[in-house]
Order: sequence, then structure tokens, then C-alpha cells
Amino acid sequence: MNENLFASFAAPSMMGLPIVVLIVMFPSVLFPTPSRLINNRLISIQQWLIQLTSKQMLAIHNQKGQTWALMLMSLILFISSTNLLGLLPHSFTPTTQLSMNLGMAIPLWAGTVITGFRYKTKASLAHFLPQGTPLPLIPMLVVIETISLLIQPMALAVRLTANITAGHLLIHLIGGATLALINISATTAFITFIILILLTILEFAVALIQAYVFTLLVSLYLHDNT
Amino acid sequence: MASSIPVKEKKLMEVKVGELPGWILMRDFTPKGIAGAFQRGYYRYYNKYINVKEGGVAGISMVLVAYVLFNYCHSYKELTHERLHKYH
Repeated sequence: MNENLFASFAAPSMMGLPIVVLIVMFPSVLFPTPSRLINNRLISIQQWLIQLTSKQMLAIHNQKGQTWALMLMSLILFISSTNLLGLLPHSFTPTTQLSMNLGMAIPLWAGTVITGFRYKTKASLAHFLPQGTPLPLIPMLVVIETISLLIQPMALAVRLTANITAGHLLIHLIGGATLALINISATTAFITFIILILLTILEFAVALIQAYVFTLLVSLYLHDNT
Repeated sequence: MASSIPVKEKKLMEVKVGELPGWILMRDFTPKGIAGAFQRGYYRYYNKYINVKEGGVAGISMVLVAYVLFNYCHSYKELTHERLHKYH
């Protein structure tokens, strides 16, 4: 049972070829490019959603921050579509791999920090010391703020990985428990099934929320630094 | 068998069974040809089911079901261990 539980998180490869690349590229098939003024229904729905989200997300940024619009929107689109596709049975979710989330988090965070240091050096350095700290506390506080800055990409990546992995594991475990309980006691199996349904609804929400949180935090880091 | 149109240019449904090996061998297996085949297949599906005036949920749900089936086939080997058999 131990090996079976984590086997679904292994990167899939067919005859040695890593088809994980295909699976990562699959969500792009579901978002066709709009080619006309009035498009088909799928594209219209997606355009409406993207407009809604982008207005919300870019409202807090100034001119310089809004150049990141494409990056943030494609980020939230990618993470939410990958998470939602991972809820289909037997599918592989790339965002459960820490390597992938680190690959997303570190460059984006580093981009915001480097932008801040390049264009507003004094203000970026000033972030290390909150206003109004008593004098003796200053050295320790600078150290603490540095650590909290350096931990931001790790937290971004690990948060996403842990949430999605935990959700998938719970679904696997409770589903297995439901199946095992059917022969023993039907009512308990029914209750476990209800729990499974609730959990699946939660996972849908978590999939979307995690995407949102990731993107929101990146945009916040951006806002601090532009 | 006498056929007035050369085998190479016929569509698959019009090729007679005896001519099938010849037809397959004449297809374009270069990377460009394979990419062209994927592109043609994609646009055939897209224009039939999604790029229509009153497209429904069927267009995209067929894609998702195909994705699920693909993943099922891929993880079949691990799934056989989870069957309800006495001896695996």
C-alpha cells in the first residue's frame, strides 16, 4: 500500500521517454487562440474570465507593475488549469512536483527583487527595517527581515506543492477506505463516501485558490518592488 | 487492380484493402509530415466541435475523457495491483 500511494506522483514516462512534457503542455490545448472579434463559445468564456481576473489582479499596480500583466495572467491560468486537470481520475498533476513549483517560484520572486533593487535601490533596502523600531532591536530585525525575504520563494513553492499533494493523497486514502468498507459495513461506507464528495468539492476550491494565492503573492512582491 | 487515380493521392476511405501497404508506405513520415498530420487532425476536431456557432460542452468533454483514458492506459500496470483478487 505504501508504494501504491505515492506511485501516482511519480513522473510518468513511456518506454523511457518522459511524457511528462506532453502532460505539462496539455492544458494549452484547452485554451485556443482567439482569431476573430466574436469567437466561439469556449474562447468567449475564457476571455471573459481572463478579463475579470486581470482587472482584479492588476488594479493595485502602477504603470511599471502592469507590464507584468501577461506573466501574472498566464501564471494563474497555468496553475489553475493544471490543478483542475489533476482532479480527473488517474491523471498526473505537474504541480505536485516540488521541482516544477520551485522552477516557477524562484525566477518570479527573483525577478521582483531584482527589479526593486535596480530601480528603487534605497526603497528596496529600506524594506528590511520596518518603521519605528527601537534602536537596540535594529540588527536582529534586519537579520529577521532578510531571512523572511529569502524564504519567500521556498514558501511559495512548498505551499503549492504541499496543498495539492495533500489533497490528492487524502482523496486516494478516503477513496480506498470507502472501497474497503463496502464489504464490512455499508453505512460506514456511505458516510465515508459523503466525506469523499465533500473532499472533492474542497479540492476543486483548493485548486483554484492555490493558483490565486500564488499569483497574488507574486504580484504583491512585485508591488513592493516597483 | 486497375485504379485510375494514383494510390498516393487517395484518401484513406477510398483506398482498396489490397493497396493499403503501398498507401501507408507512401505517406510522409518526415518530422514535417508528422507535424502536418497532427495539425490537420487538431484543426479537423477543432473546427467540427468547438469552432462552431452553438458549440456545447461535448466538444471539450470529449477531449477530457480522452485524456482520462490515456492516463488510465498508462497507469494500467500499477492499477492491476489494486484489484480485489486473492492472489495478485
